[in-house]
Amino acid sequence: MSHTHSHGKPGADTHHKAAPMVEEITDYEVLEIAVRELAIEHGLFTAEDHRRFTEWAESIGPAAGSRLVAKAWTDPAFKARALKDGVKACKEIGVDWAEPTGVGTPSDYMEFHVLEDTPTLHHVIVCTLCSCYPRPLLGMSPEWYRTTNYRRRLVRWPRQVLAEFGLILPPEVEVRVEDSNQKCRFMVLPVRPKGTENWTEEQLEAIVTRDCMIGVALPKPGRTADVHPIQKARRPVESSHQEAK
Amino acid sequence: MRRLGPGMKKSKTGHSPEKAAATGALFKVGDQVRVRDMPYMFYTRSQMYTRGVAGTIAALTYKDLIPEEEAFNFDGRIEQYYIVRFRQKDLWPGYPFDNDTLQTECPHRWLEPAKN
Amino acid sequence: MSVDRIALLETTRNQDKTWEALAPHYGVTNPNPPWKTSLTAMCDCLAVNGALPALDRRKAEDELAETLYSDIPSPERELLALVHTMVSRGLVTEADLASRMSMVRARLETV
Repeated sequence: MSHTHSHGKPGADTHHKAAPMVEEITDYEVLEIAVRELAIEHGLFTAEDHRRFTEWAESIGPAAGSRLVAKAWTDPAFKARALKDGVKACKEIGVDWAEPTGVGTPSDYMEFHVLEDTPTLHHVIVCTLCSCYPRPLLGMSPEWYRTTNYRRRLVRWPRQVLAEFGLILPPEVEVRVEDSNQKCRFMVLPVRPKGTENWTEEQLEAIVTRDCMIGVALPKPGRTADVHPIQKARRPVESSHQEAK
Repeated sequence: MRRLGPGMKKSKTGHSPEKAAATGALFKVGDQVRVRDMPYMFYTRSQMYTRGVAGTIAALTYKDLIPEEEAFNFDGRIEQYYIVRFRQKDLWPGYPFDNDTLQTECPHRWLEPAKN
Repeated sequence: MSVDRIALLETTRNQDKTWEALAPHYGVTNPNPPWKTSLTAMCDCLAVNGALPALDRRKAEDELAETLYSDIPSPERELLALVHTMVSRGLVTEADLASRMSMVRARLETV
C-alpha cells in the first residue's frame, strides 16, 4: 500500500494536498506492515493473494445492497428472482460472490439468501459464533455487529436490542432472528415505506442504509444515514498531539 | 474449518460435488425436527441454545462435506444442510412474545425427527 | 488459549495513537485508517490457506477484546488481537516482529 507522508519542515509537500491526512506514522501502521511482511516470508500467504484480497476489500460496500433492495422494490420480477436465487440475482446488480478466488472468500462462501420482510414479519441478522456478514453485498461489518454484546443478546432479547437502536415493533409482528452460523449469508429486504410512491431507484437507494439491511432499522423518507448513540466514553485527545504538527 | 477429504476437489460453488445421499432420508420443508444433544466436542459451529429443542424445517440449503473432526468414519460423506425455525418461546423460558421466531442453519447429522 | 500479555504489543498499544483519537485531531473524516483493508485482507489470506481459520481467529479475538484489549477501539483492537494470536500460535515471533518494526519505521521515515 502506498501513501505519502509529510514530515519535518512545515509547508513541505502540504500545499498540494487535496485533503487533510494523519501526518504521523503510528506503531499500529508499522505493526500491520511488519506482521504482513513476516507472514509472507514465512509462506502463510502470498503477496499476490494479499493484493487481490485487499483490492476486493476496497471494492465492497453497502451501496450494492441498497441497489438490490431498490431494484426489488421497483421490479417484481427481479424481486422474485432475488428470493429464489440470491447469488444469481446479485450478478444482475454487479456483485459476484465468487470473487476474489473464483469460489468466494473463506468467510463469505457462495450461499446468499434475501430475507423478505412483510408488515407482520421483521427479520434481523446476527452471527452468534463469529459475526459472519454478507460482505460482497454490504461491505465490511460495523463494529457493533461484531461485539459479543450484540451477538449474545440479539438471539435472547431481540426486541430490547432493537429498541436500543431506536426500533420498536408491535407485539403481534413476528420478530425473526436469523443466526448465520454456517455457510449461508443473509440480507434483509425491508418493506418499502409509505411516502415513496413514484420514487426513482436512486431516491430509494438513498434511504436503504446498511442498518436497514441488517434489520436494526426501518427505511423511511428522509432517513439517509445510520446514526448510533455513543456506546461508551472515549478519552479526549491529549494536548501532547500539538507537537506532532 | 471445512477441509476437503482425501482426493476431493473444490467445486465451482466451493462445496463438494453432489454425490450419494447423506445419512438417511432428507427432511422436507415443514418437517418437525429436534436438535440432537450430541457431545459438544463434535460441534464446531453449533450454538448451545438450540440443543434438545424442536423446530420446523424452513428450507433446504446446500449439501456439504462433514468436517473430518465430526465424521465418525472419514469417508468424505456429504450431507444436507437446513434452515431450522424455532419459536423463541421454546428456546428461552418465559420469552414474552408469542409470535417471535429464530432461524439457524443445521447439518442433517444434528437433527432427528421430533415426535409431536 | 493464553491471555498473557505480549510485551511488544504492550509497548505498541496506545490509545492516543488510534485512528479514533488521531483522525479528528488532523481533521480527517475517513472513518478508517488506510491499513484497515490490508488487515482485512490479511485475515482472509490466513484463513484461505489454513494458517489461521476464521473461526479460530474470531474466538481468540472475542476473548482478547474482552480482556487485554478491551480499552482499545476498532480496528486497532483487531490488529493487536490478530498479532497476539499469531504470536501465541507460533506463526510469527515477538523478536522477529520487533526487529521488523524497526526496519519498517526506518524505511517509512526516510523521505
